[in-house]
Amino acid sequence: MTDLFVDEYPEQARLVRAAFLTSFVALGIGALFGVIQALHRTGVFRIVESTTYYTVLTGHGVFLVITFTIFFLVGLYQWAVTDSLQRGPVDARLTWSWYGLMSVGTLIAAIAILAGFLDDPPDVLGSELSADVLFTFYAPLQANPIFYAGLVLFVVGTWLAGADWFRTWWAWKRDHPGERIPLPTFMVLTTMIMWYISSIGVAVAILAFILPWSLGLIDSLNPTLTRTLFWYFGHPVVYFWLLPAYLLWYIVLPKLSGGRLFSDPLARVVFILFVLLSTPVGIHHQYLDPGISEGFKFIAMTNTMFLLLPSLLTAFTVVASMEHGARQRGGTGTLNWLRALPWKDPAFTGMALAGLVFAFGGFTGIVNAGMNINYLVHNSLWVPGHIHTQVGTAVALTFMAGSYWLVPQLTGNRLVGRQIALFQVVLWFVGIVFMTNSMYRAGLIGVPRRSAEPQYAFDYEVGVGSMTELDVQLALGGVLLFVSTVLFLAIILLTAFNTDSDPLVDGTIPPALSGPEDSPRVLDDLRVWIGIALVLVVIAYAIPLASIVDRGGLFGPDVGPFPVVVDGVMYLQHGVAYVGVLIT
Amino acid sequence: MRISPAKLLIVIALCLVVLVEARTILAFFDVEVSVLEIALVGVVAITALVVWAVRPADEETSEP
Amino acid sequence: MNIHAYERLWLVASMVLIVGFIVTITYGTVGLGITMVDDREETISPDDVDEDDRFQDPRVEQVGENEFEAYVVSMTFLFQPDPIEIPANNEVTFYVTSRDVIHSFTVVGTNTNTMVIPGEVSAMTVEFDEPGEYGVVCNEYCGPGHHDMEGSLIVHPEDEYSLTELSVDAPDQVGPGEDVELTISIQNGLLEDLETTVDVEVGDETLEQDVTVPGGETEQVSVTVDGDDLEPGDAEWSASVDDEVETGTVTIGDDADDGGDEP
Ligand code: HEM
Ligand SMILES: [Cu+2]
Ligand SMILES: [Cu+2]
Repeated sequence: MTDLFVDEYPEQARLVRAAFLTSFVALGIGALFGVIQALHRTGVFRIVESTTYYTVLTGHGVFLVITFTIFFLVGLYQWAVTDSLQRGPVDARLTWSWYGLMSVGTLIAAIAILAGFLDDPPDVLGSELSADVLFTFYAPLQANPIFYAGLVLFVVGTWLAGADWFRTWWAWKRDHPGERIPLPTFMVLTTMIMWYISSIGVAVAILAFILPWSLGLIDSLNPTLTRTLFWYFGHPVVYFWLLPAYLLWYIVLPKLSGGRLFSDPLARVVFILFVLLSTPVGIHHQYLDPGISEGFKFIAMTNTMFLLLPSLLTAFTVVASMEHGARQRGGTGTLNWLRALPWKDPAFTGMALAGLVFAFGGFTGIVNAGMNINYLVHNSLWVPGHIHTQVGTAVALTFMAGSYWLVPQLTGNRLVGRQIALFQVVLWFVGIVFMTNSMYRAGLIGVPRRSAEPQYAFDYEVGVGSMTELDVQLALGGVLLFVSTVLFLAIILLTAFNTDSDPLVDGTIPPALSGPEDSPRVLDDLRVWIGIALVLVVIAYAIPLASIVDRGGLFGPDVGPFPVVVDGVMYLQHGVAYVGVLIT
Repeated sequence: MRISPAKLLIVIALCLVVLVEARTILAFFDVEVSVLEIALVGVVAITALVVWAVRPADEETSEP
Repeated sequence: MNIHAYERLWLVASMVLIVGFIVTITYGTVGLGITMVDDREETISPDDVDEDDRFQDPRVEQVGENEFEAYVVSMTFLFQPDPIEIPANNEVTFYVTSRDVIHSFTVVGTNTNTMVIPGEVSAMTVEFDEPGEYGVVCNEYCGPGHHDMEGSLIVHPEDEYSLTELSVDAPDQVGPGEDVELTISIQNGLLEDLETTVDVEVGDETLEQDVTVPGGETEQVSVTVDGDDLEPGDAEWSASVDDEVETGTVTIGDDADDGGDEP
């Protein structure tokens, strides 16, 4: 057994712990908001006003898919780079600055969001402090400027984190001329390349349009343009959540199963495919948007389908690696080897179940990607169903399971309550199936997402069962998930304070069965892949963006702002005014 | 025990999941199963599973 | 590079699957002629919605044999018109725009679903085979009242569908014994002629008159009720054509008669 990470790199371990701490705090708040939503929209139990539901929902989206996932990512990647290059950063001050920047950004955005709970929010920078715009912040809904500023700081923080890891790698390369990039670092660098290419979209949307507009510096913007820029970033961001989970599946899961990764070169190919293909597909979120021609939607659809390839390859590698591990442990038979896997290890079981849910969710993703079927499910509850199977489980459950393996190495403490940890991951699995099964079914009959009260004057045509049954199932699933989250946080907290113990964990990662030696070196030539990725992005986006600007103008056909403040009177007047128009 | 408690837990979870999804899948083939029916099937299946699991395995003589 | 035989097989199978999906969807789109919301409509500033021919008066219009157009405006937190009434088994093109933020126009349980973006007009041609009442919701978050944004779409059986509008010109007051004359304008929004009957009731008197309104035109019908048949005081009147009804009150006799409870 080698030294623990915390003993070898105490400074790095401190940073990873800090990143995980932020991530888990966000997970706790996000899960609380999640269960509030699950109970509220089904009418089971309502503790907030329906107008405040959207404050909760904004918090749920931002805290979970921005804070929880990305803070976990930077922590995990810091570990991966340090551990696989066996060296710390060139300058630790840079490391702590990006962590600081990301934290400050999060805090500012969080303040703007949470101010939505106040009855009488204060004015900041000339407008009321609130940000009930959901995590997609589609203009012309408008949040307080500090919300956007917070997001920008956060993203700049992640850029610096990437720069930091590149710098560490360059330093390593000088000392190891001619060596292949270690696989974990390769995964980190390729993920960050994808992130740089894609986050430009949201940066431009905010810095050039939305932020100046929210400050009153410009009067109008083009909602189709900012929306398209958002989705230019919005699809790759899902891979930004997913790739750290892939890293764990490729690097840690084979080891936990008792074996080693099947093929190192294939893993590299998979990550390269993500660099190339994850950006030129964003328009698949806009199949229903006016102002974008069918041809561009078609191109996005084709690219999206090819994006299935890396995930299908991953499914193969992960299962093959697990089977190899099981056979090393004495497993035999066509399927009987499954029994030889270390099911009592929560880290293993969590990741395996996450992978299973991911495979299932992949099919629902294909439905979303199909241009015409999309019309049936777009923005229905089907979509949060898909979200929770993918980022909400494939990613979140993998992160939790990974934490059971990593946190002892980062703290030097033994994991508390391994049986409870196993129960926790299994409970998540059951909870997510209850919740998403209901969401998928409700989505197919047209129940909308993002709605505090999806109970209308008409009745839904429920095929099987009843609306009540669907509601109860969703609420039940939500409660199970919430309980599971609380268990997870409690276990991690107790582990963090379990100081006078020895961790029972082996941090060594065995080399892959087929190593990088016999793969072409071009795989490691990141410049080539950056080049091709940029070309593909230009092909997929130059003409659509030009056509949107040409149609609506850079600043739109005079679209004014709509600050989202819960001001009943304003909306009432608005309504009355138009009813007036209607009558006269 | 014929299987370890960990495996039993996971098999029970898989059972629950299969039951929930099976109902949806059957509905696609116009086979309607009510909540009560599926719950009954679930209780029976899981009880059978637990009974099977906790009985001593054939080769084991008896558990302490 | 060393690729395992199974891996190669998997790779090939994956590619076949992917190409299969693309072919299916392409067939579904091109082969079956399903059209998507796209950029065929001109942009429109939300400020100009009130001046636009289509949207200043949100409505349904017949534009050809078996072809209708519906002009719909979405705004926080309602749709206009509401309800939207269309005939079954006819092509209906919805044109939807927004006055303010992004909404959606979604007919629940169908694939009639589009985003509605301020500045843009979404156009969507559909045909409903099943008469009935459908729910319309906005499924894109548009502000704190988002969940109240609801409308309805009524699909009438083809032969019961009309686009008839009625307006009635009636006196508020007539002298004692004077005749009451109602002028009824019947506007026929359909392209075919409308053969129908106007039913008029004033007080206890009922009258009927047949009328034919040519497609797309307005016809006026005058109905006179003999003053001698009416009791003095307030008389309710109503005029109806098919399902459209207009009602009002006419006062018969002098103001002085009843001590002036006039407004
Ligand atoms: C305690 C566990 C959770 C519960 C009970 C829960 C519940 C919900 C519910 C009911 C919705 C639908 C709200 C609506 O559309 O009206 C929702 C939306 C969403 N959830 Fe969760 N969730 C949980 C965990 C997670 C996790 C772990 C993630 C991601 C890491 C996540 C990401 C999202 C996202 C992105 C949305 C869509 C937000 C939007 O439409 O703006 N959730 N959640
Ligand atoms: Cu996407
Ligand atoms: Cu809405």
